[in-house]
Amino acid sequence: MADSSLPLAGLRVLDISSFIAAPAAAVVLGDWGADVIKIESPDGDPNRTIMKDSGNYPKAEVNYPWQMDSRNKRSLVLDLKKPQARAALDKLIAGSDILICNFPPLVREKLGLSYEAVKAANPRLIYASLTGYGETGPDRDRPGFDATAYFARSGLLDAQRYEGGPPGVPGPAQGDRATAMTLVSSILMALIHRMKTGEGSWVGTSLLGNGLWSCGVIAQAALVGAFLPPRPPPDRPRSALGNIYRTSDDRWLQLTIVREDKLWGPLCSAIGHPEIVNDPRFAVQDERRRNSAALATIMRDAFAAHDYAYWLKALGTREITFGVISRPQDVPDDAQAVACGAIVDTAIPEVPRTLSNPIRLSFAEQRLANPAPALGQHSEEILREAGLSASDIAQLRAVEAIR
Amino acid sequence: MNEAPEPLPLAGLVVLDISSFIAAPAAAVALADFGADVIKIEPPGEGDPHRHNYKSANYPRAEKQVNFPWQLDGRLKRSLALDLKKADARPVLERLIQRADVMIVNFPPATRERLRLTWEDIEAINPRLVYCSLTGYGETGPDRDRPGFDITAYFGRSGILDAARYEGGPPGLSLPAQGDRSTAMTLVAAILLGLRRRDRTGKGGWVGTSLYANGVWANGTSAAGALVGAKLPPRQSPDRPRNALTNLYRTRDDRWLQLLMVRDDRLWVPFCKLIGREDLPADPRFADREERKSYAADLFKELAPIFASKTYREWESILSGTGIPFGVIERLADVVVDEQARHAGIFADTGNPEVPRTVNNPIRLGFATPRMAGPPPTIGQHSAEILRELAYSETEIAALKKTGALG
Repeated sequence: MADSSLPLAGLRVLDISSFIAAPAAAVVLGDWGADVIKIESPDGDPNRTIMKDSGNYPKAEVNYPWQMDSRNKRSLVLDLKKPQARAALDKLIAGSDILICNFPPLVREKLGLSYEAVKAANPRLIYASLTGYGETGPDRDRPGFDATAYFARSGLLDAQRYEGGPPGVPGPAQGDRATAMTLVSSILMALIHRMKTGEGSWVGTSLLGNGLWSCGVIAQAALVGAFLPPRPPPDRPRSALGNIYRTSDDRWLQLTIVREDKLWGPLCSAIGHPEIVNDPRFAVQDERRRNSAALATIMRDAFAAHDYAYWLKALGTREITFGVISRPQDVPDDAQAVACGAIVDTAIPEVPRTLSNPIRLSFAEQRLANPAPALGQHSEEILREAGLSASDIAQLRAVEAIR
Repeated sequence: MNEAPEPLPLAGLVVLDISSFIAAPAAAVALADFGADVIKIEPPGEGDPHRHNYKSANYPRAEKQVNFPWQLDGRLKRSLALDLKKADARPVLERLIQRADVMIVNFPPATRERLRLTWEDIEAINPRLVYCSLTGYGETGPDRDRPGFDITAYFGRSGILDAARYEGGPPGLSLPAQGDRSTAMTLVAAILLGLRRRDRTGKGGWVGTSLYANGVWANGTSAAGALVGAKLPPRQSPDRPRNALTNLYRTRDDRWLQLLMVRDDRLWVPFCKLIGREDLPADPRFADREERKSYAADLFKELAPIFASKTYREWESILSGTGIPFGVIERLADVVVDEQARHAGIFADTGNPEVPRTVNNPIRLGFATPRMAGPPPTIGQHSAEILRELAYSETEIAALKKTGALG
């Protein structure tokens, strides 16, 4: 049971969604105390097996993505395609505060899960909808994934590339997780509205809308006819002092020198080329820009001669500004990742640490992650809570509407 | 139906936006969109440095320079130019805090301490205040005072850029403010949780997030993998895919189409029919999922010339409505006229002739529509008006202007 002082304690959430963005929003609500019931088809949420099914996932013995996206949920298997399941679903809706749904609109209509179809069962219900591309329009029924809807369709991937190269590469579920926070915000808006008016409502967001929101600066620019110039690759940068360099151990450093006047000398000494300080090709900023390819070549060879740890020290002691490009495997050992609350302990023995959601509150701690449910683990218990009798449950089982 | 529109959900709330650049101010924008009265407190003279970002070399350029990012991140706010370093400004600030509901800050912790703007400093002035803080790297720890920008804190430090690359290639690129704007939605959620708690208990409190934590959250699948020792396999370049059915293909007109057939157990046979290759399912190399992955290079060789034979618009019409997930790598020039973007409520008209359309925040509510934005404020445009609301006399206002505390 969740601590009753958590801000969402006492709220019941039906998570009728699959994969990542919408279930991750339900995770966040659960983290802050909501009782989340995951309703799955007899096949289960395909996110249960995505680590195995997708070539783009890091592979492990333990099902870490499922643990992360389902922590603290209870699982009810209810086959919404079976008419016998409807009465049970209506009872669950009647006793819930929030329903999260990410079926495409057409499927929702077929299953009787549109907002109009469910609000009769509970006018106070907050219905949160996630789509790939919106609720109406020519692409409303197109299945949306974050790689397609959030990243590609929004123009993000096209913009995230070096001149002449292939489009950028999104990380697995990267846009989904960002979108989850928007879905949480929209649900919280609806809770405020319900507190003021007593009424439930529809709220929602789309992956496409979130992709465009995240690249809002360049999207706003495009709206006034302004476009980003293509980004030159690292071997011919616009400025050699605002460029990335590979170290001898195949890592990258991002120089971000804004105060060139102050740091040019220290940089030359850091890279072991004090003789170029007064080289007429590089002595002043305009010349350095004009000869950036030649300077980048000198710097590329210099950075490639030592490893990453060497450079951290060599640049750090001279107060030369640079950005760290961490590898995912560096993050777990980063004390600052723990300090900012990104990494927390769990009660799951095989996944002892996980990622907390990024919201921090002084007045409440996120719930400790308990193991994600097995498929249908809580079917019986949830249906009894919803007021179904033992014989109701047995009948549903007989027609395989539940498991 | 001529019902009076319902009040916006955040109508009546006063928000002090004491923040700069993008992530925190963008959260204040989202609150303003839904009805909050947002007062932006900025230093007299220069104002929020974000007012000048449109001149940055990393920002898109238009023929005619308009301050489009400021329209986006300053919309619906009132500007109060107040120099927080001046002692005379403090009573004004405290009077503002007394009647505010939410305060947003993004100074690094040490600066906040110097300006007496920590939650501990503020709580006594208004215990019902929801105090929201954004940092680059968190409120404590070795890097708490390091200035955080989205390219360093959200993208570089979290491992996103390292992962966002093809094997052997340079790290990925992030776009201006991309992580800032995602983080803004987390701040909104944090603030709303604070308001909910206040509604239930009468007490305010500190809420916040960091760019770093948001980057790690966005990169959560890879980061969770790293926590159990799993490593993201390097992304092979599009001509050497691990899975030819979730890969990029160049079309005849030199654009890219992204095939995303995750459920190839169901979709493989219909897909082959669609591309006119009914022979492929019978090929033992491609008979089932595991085989198709083992022979991804062979399958790529079959598919690449097929995709290269048609334009991407042709592919779009062939694949649409078939249930086969795909995405075009869209260009922003096309996105801004995309009919679907209009349906999804992504762009909105403004009342500012210089920047007639803007990007909506992605929250959609059945019971309210985001407010329409006029031009964003000039520095200190509302200084006198806001001080009058706080019951300052004209003489007092003039005196504050004279000391330079008020701009």
